[in-house]
Amino acid sequence: MSKVQQLNVSKTSVSKIAILALAIVFAIGLFVVGFDQGHIFSLVYGEQAFIDLTIHELTHDMRHAAGFPCH
Amino acid sequence: MKSVLFIVIVLISGALAGTIHGVVNFAIVEPYLDQAIGIENQNLFASGEEEDNPQFWAEYESYRIWQKSGQVLAGIVLGIAMGSLFGIVYVLSRNSLPGKNDVSKSLILAGIMWIVIYLIPFLKYPANPPTVGDGETVVLRAILYISFILISGFGAFIFYKLSKKFQNNKKYLGLFGYVIFIVITFFVMPENPDQITAPMNLVNEFRLMSILGVSSFWGSIGIILGVFWKKFGNTNIPSS
Repeated sequence: MSKVQQLNVSKTSVSKIAILALAIVFAIGLFVVGFDQGHIFSLVYGEQAFIDLTIHELTHDMRHAAGFPCH
Repeated sequence: MKSVLFIVIVLISGALAGTIHGVVNFAIVEPYLDQAIGIENQNLFASGEEEDNPQFWAEYESYRIWQKSGQVLAGIVLGIAMGSLFGIVYVLSRNSLPGKNDVSKSLILAGIMWIVIYLIPFLKYPANPPTVGDGETVVLRAILYISFILISGFGAFIFYKLSKKFQNNKKYLGLFGYVIFIVITFFVMPENPDQITAPMNLVNEFRLMSILGVSSFWGSIGIILGVFWKKFGNTNIPSS
């Protein structure tokens, strides 16, 4: 009589594209919260974005709280 | 695990842990931020850079609300970003991590990453509240902070790889090597160039709350991703 066993086989291999996609999310997200000084909105609003600092102000409190140099 | 499922559980884990981080910050860090900004405002009045009048306070209230409202939102974005890094490291290191199941493995990795890319860089370049920090040096400080994180992170990776070449108890030589390496780096890296003029009790209490906030993120991401992975990550294959 054969003994049936239940084996847990872990499949941790995911595609390199998935890892690349997450690496891009990491880089963009980190830049937005930690370092943007108007750079992203300057693509649309030009120099004014560096004066308005919209994202900088929105992420201001988290920057300080998470340890990023803010100003 | 399918790649799409992997990405989805990583992003959701990051968003949830980031939300927790934002809410914790809102509760325990915000009072110190308000206190520090109050000092900053008094300094502006004292230097004549701003006038203490209703117009100033109207402007202040409008952008301060914007800043506060971003705490949780920024927590979610940062959580998704750091969660993505965590997910990448987890999927690449899962088979080497100690732990009986995915929750314990994920928590152990979260603890390692908390030490390597947060706590150690924090000890050299700790968080500062508003009113501490010269705008002229912000780029230099950002470069120093990121450099230390990269050095610590890649250092840990390299010494881990080295430790795998050793047998039995000699594996600890890798850990020992990393500690020596990071201590040397700690003393070689330049100091934060800015002087602290704010009251030190405020700065120290702010830093403690900052640590608790960031730690809430790493603890949460470890548990949440581990639970998701335990639920969706394994495939049961019957064999005879």
